[in-house]
Amino acid sequence: MTEVASTTSGARDRRAPDGVTSVKVWDPVVRLTHWGVAAAVLGCSFLFEPEGNGADLHQLFGYVGVGLVVLRLVWGLVGPRHARLSSFPPNPMAALRHLTDLHRGRRHVHLSHNPAGALMVYNLWASVIAMGVTGYMMGTVAFFGIDWVEEAHEVIYGWIMVSVVLHLAGIVLDTVLTRVPLVPAMITGRKRVPTDRLG
Amino acid sequence: MTAVAVSDRARTGRRAALLSAVIVVQTLCAIFFLGDVIGDLVGDGQFEGPHKWVEIVAGLAMVGGVAFLIFELRRVMNRVAILENATRAAQGEMADVIEAFFDEWNLTASERDVALLMLKGIENDEIARIRGTASGTVRAQGAAVFRKAGVDGRPQLFSIFMEELLAGE
Repeated sequence: MTEVASTTSGARDRRAPDGVTSVKVWDPVVRLTHWGVAAAVLGCSFLFEPEGNGADLHQLFGYVGVGLVVLRLVWGLVGPRHARLSSFPPNPMAALRHLTDLHRGRRHVHLSHNPAGALMVYNLWASVIAMGVTGYMMGTVAFFGIDWVEEAHEVIYGWIMVSVVLHLAGIVLDTVLTRVPLVPAMITGRKRVPTDRLG
Repeated sequence: MTAVAVSDRARTGRRAALLSAVIVVQTLCAIFFLGDVIGDLVGDGQFEGPHKWVEIVAGLAMVGGVAFLIFELRRVMNRVAILENATRAAQGEMADVIEAFFDEWNLTASERDVALLMLKGIENDEIARIRGTASGTVRAQGAAVFRKAGVDGRPQLFSIFMEELLAGE
């Protein structure tokens, strides 16, 4: 987990207003895959029903979502620092500590994902892949019409919806508490961090 | 020098964004191709004829293409990082150079401000507005700067720093 205090990244920008340092964190691949997966989940969930005339597009969006997650995982191995999986390893204890710290008013700014956010990231990726796998199985000769596959696809769908709500809630909470606007960061790639928190 | 670095940086930044978009699209295509091949392999067992081999080669070629593009993108991103550092260094050094000259000329605090604003190409009236003084004061301070620097106007003041930049190449 890259905590700001321990990093003096070379990508600071002087043009930010006083008291705020703009730091380049999300490269274009991270941003494109993030919004692409979001679009794929939305498309599969609400735009193109698996039954009826949206079935083909439902499948297509499913493939796109899984493909983007796969690309993001590869990028997590070879990409720049903040995009790397090693910058935000899945660590439930650290996530718990992060949440209790937030509760106690200790608000660390993380340049990559914060530990709780990191868990959500892995959860969402795993869920999207599981959706893709079960969805694909439903279309194969071997698993067509098998109950548990269909069941699993729907249960994981419910889980993704819960996760999305938690994900959005986490974004709002973190933005309010650390005063680092996270949504613009995922659009422009730059986190605007209050300079006194950079340590 | 600095301006070139800045425009170069913007161009490389755009290149990185474009490369990323191509990588995303090509990854999806590669997965589609390979998925099709694997589906044929494990699905109905019909795996004959040159057609399938063409598909396999095409799929693998796309994966190789993606790998190359990712490698290329990393190179471009490193270049952006280097340019950003270089630009910052150049800006920082230029500021030091300017400070050194101001010291040498024994400029007062107000004269330093006025001289710096002049170097930024700001008109006297605007400088007066920024500093909240009369424009006559700015003209007088400007004249003092020129006198101490031994030049007879703005163009010559610029040329001192320009020469420093060119000599630094």
